[in-house]
Amino acid sequence: MVNITILYSIIIAILTLLVCFIIGMFLPGVEKKYVHARIQQRIGPPVTSVGIMAPIKFAFKENLDPRSPAPGLYKALPFISFLCILLVLLFITPQMYSVELLSSIIAIVGLLKVEEIAYVFMGALSKSVMSLSMKFPDLVKGASHTDTIRSHIEDISSKRSLRMISYGSFPLYLALFVPVVCSGSLYIGDIIKYQQVHGPFIFTTQGILAAFVFFIGYVILLNESPFNIIEAESDVIQGPYMEYMAKYRSVIYLTKGLLMFTLSALFTIFFLGISLNIFSWNILVFIIVSLLFTLFMGIFSAFTPVFTNRQFLPVVLLTTLIGVLAIVIGILI
Amino acid sequence: MSLKSYSRQRAIHVMLVYTGGCNGCDIEIVNAVLSPKIDIEQYKVFLTWNPREADVLVVTGPVTYHNKEPLLKIYNDIPDPKLVIAAGSCALMGGVYKNIYGDIPSEEIEGPVENIIPVDAKVPGCAVRPQDILAGLISVLPNLLNSD
Amino acid sequence: MIEEKIPNPNGELIETEISMGTVHPAALEPYRVRFFVEDEIIQEAEITIGVNHRGVERIMEGLPVEKANALTEKICGICSNSHTWNSVLTAEKGLNIDIPERANYIRVIMGELERLHSHLLYLAHGCEVLGHETFSMRIFYIRETVMDLLHMIGGNRVQYGVSIIGGVRPRCELNEMRIQKVESGLDELEKNIVNFSERFTSDPIVNSRIEGVGYLPPKQARKLAVTGPSLRACGFNYDLRTEMPQYDDFDFNIISLDTCDVKANLLMRVLESFESIKIIRQAIKNLPKGPIADRNWEMFDCDFIKSYIEVPRGICYHSFALEDGRVRGSVIRTPSMANIAAMQYAAIGNHITDGQLCIVQCDPCFTCTDRAFEIIEL
Repeated sequence: MVNITILYSIIIAILTLLVCFIIGMFLPGVEKKYVHARIQQRIGPPVTSVGIMAPIKFAFKENLDPRSPAPGLYKALPFISFLCILLVLLFITPQMYSVELLSSIIAIVGLLKVEEIAYVFMGALSKSVMSLSMKFPDLVKGASHTDTIRSHIEDISSKRSLRMISYGSFPLYLALFVPVVCSGSLYIGDIIKYQQVHGPFIFTTQGILAAFVFFIGYVILLNESPFNIIEAESDVIQGPYMEYMAKYRSVIYLTKGLLMFTLSALFTIFFLGISLNIFSWNILVFIIVSLLFTLFMGIFSAFTPVFTNRQFLPVVLLTTLIGVLAIVIGILI
Repeated sequence: MSLKSYSRQRAIHVMLVYTGGCNGCDIEIVNAVLSPKIDIEQYKVFLTWNPREADVLVVTGPVTYHNKEPLLKIYNDIPDPKLVIAAGSCALMGGVYKNIYGDIPSEEIEGPVENIIPVDAKVPGCAVRPQDILAGLISVLPNLLNSD
Repeated sequence: MIEEKIPNPNGELIETEISMGTVHPAALEPYRVRFFVEDEIIQEAEITIGVNHRGVERIMEGLPVEKANALTEKICGICSNSHTWNSVLTAEKGLNIDIPERANYIRVIMGELERLHSHLLYLAHGCEVLGHETFSMRIFYIRETVMDLLHMIGGNRVQYGVSIIGGVRPRCELNEMRIQKVESGLDELEKNIVNFSERFTSDPIVNSRIEGVGYLPPKQARKLAVTGPSLRACGFNYDLRTEMPQYDDFDFNIISLDTCDVKANLLMRVLESFESIKIIRQAIKNLPKGPIADRNWEMFDCDFIKSYIEVPRGICYHSFALEDGRVRGSVIRTPSMANIAAMQYAAIGNHITDGQLCIVQCDPCFTCTDRAFEIIEL
């Protein structure tokens, strides 16, 4: 009997992952077509183009050697970040709640950090043709500073992602710790049980503050405008992704959609207290929340320019303070 | 229609390389993608600036001496299958700049784009109209869809 | 605010060099820029042009003057009418041709429409480099009105120069229907630009992004001989249009702002657009009757003739001599040539994401500017 239960759990977990994966694929298209294009008063691409058809197309392309000092590691990085997101999604399924070590907030934060660290390596290992390697007689008589270190544009992007790790992702993690502080447990199962008894966190003062902080953190983690400084088109073009092609690029496209869904699912679990069960109507709540997040993010990014450090630091500082305030309220009440 | 060609048809990434024209074609092409009036994204064509992401390379301008190597490098960096569209009369045959020194071979203009990389479609016009770019792309699209 | 920015002396502080170009999304033209960066702050910038030298002056040498005038249209895709206008003016000055009043009015109308299209392109490109896609789309949408008018009068969307020696091309005659279209187009344009500029100036996020960025001290601007709207954005009230006999009949203001940063430059273009609309309205209202071209002129040899006019980017200079009806010793100097040093200077002390913005703020047009060329053996 025990064996059959475990088998069922595994099958259901895999099914959940598949369903979430498919929902996630639609989200970038929804953002592009129904938010950005509508705000810009044009028709925009079909919903399936960005999230589904582009990855399939890239999977069929020929793969060349990337210009990179360590091609093996460079090619492995997108799979690592994809795996991290998939594991986060796996750990928040109800079937995993019995494995208490993994279905805790510590594991989720750790995996999201790994995904961020991947950007640093991607940026450092990419040596694209678009900047320094493009042949041009630069170092000639009369040129200034012929003896400096010359770097590719991706190197700045790598340095920026390092900074993002140190302070950029504070808001998201602070927001995730508010439910932990309120319910007094690190485990997802306990947090959901607490909310089923006491009502969802979103309806409390600290919950509203934390939801706002979570949203800012969500945009920062997705590198969406205005927080897309590591892949700002005005200087680093595509930043860490510059040299990915063929199937590696399709993995990157898929990772983005999956990350969009996973983060909104985290929100639904931590702030609405609903467990991720594809065989009940709860899944509709997950879909609606992910669509709402996509919508808000689209509107937010359509009306803002890229933030440089001058705007980025105050925004992060402010949201961090709100997050700390929410935690303090959570402890006091 | 197989999944391969169907997916290729639904997402076409175009990269623009300017090789020293008069700027008119570049602005018209970027305009075609950007401006809400024509909005090339509704036809599933996206503008990208990364050769690794591109399927179609649009080249404008008579290739000048300093632009030959960058153009070749960018062309070689695009993974197969790829298309090249030469847009504007300069890219087609050198335009007014081709005959710069009369019979003396020119050192500055490396000639039409054909001399440097194979060209699939030629879009005439000085400057090209945004609609013509789209028409040129559509006319050679089967090459892209049916290749391996 | 920094009063005097001193470029770093050679060596020491510079950490790394970032080179962008010759193909880069923030630049619509091929050029190379090297940013010398210390902790993501630009210490020095070096712009190298010469990538798209096609030798237009060399091709003009020995061509019949009418052909040469038509060729100057191909110098630049943005200010094509201005180059033809100035080249024709040079020839007319040498040959002592008086053009009909109506022809001059049509030239002014085209010149101002071109200023509108160039300024709107500048705004759209500026917003794109800022990373604000929605604003850029909006301006490209507004700009299509001007493009349609240019297409209607000149017959092409990009190369639409109207001037020929003695007047304007017969195609560019303004009849009642065209005048009505221009009027309704201007009304729509003015409404759209007013709406946009209200939205643009009241946006706190965009303002925080552009205020104080790319500061060019007025003293330095004077020293570098900056020209055009970039000079006027530094507080100098100087516009060559006040001295041009072609603009004698029109009443307009010279705008100058004194904050010297990207915001001043962007606002400058918006405010100048309204003045251009004002000039076109006056020209259409008082459009004189009569022929549009004077074909009774004789060709004779003349020595070097110089002509300066104000084009959307600043002062444009054309000069050539005539010999047997052919052009000799042509020299063209475009406004961006003077502004390159300003671009390099304005970039100093800014974040590297703003680097391209500082270059764009001086409205670069390197395709116009590329004149000198030297193949260097490495």
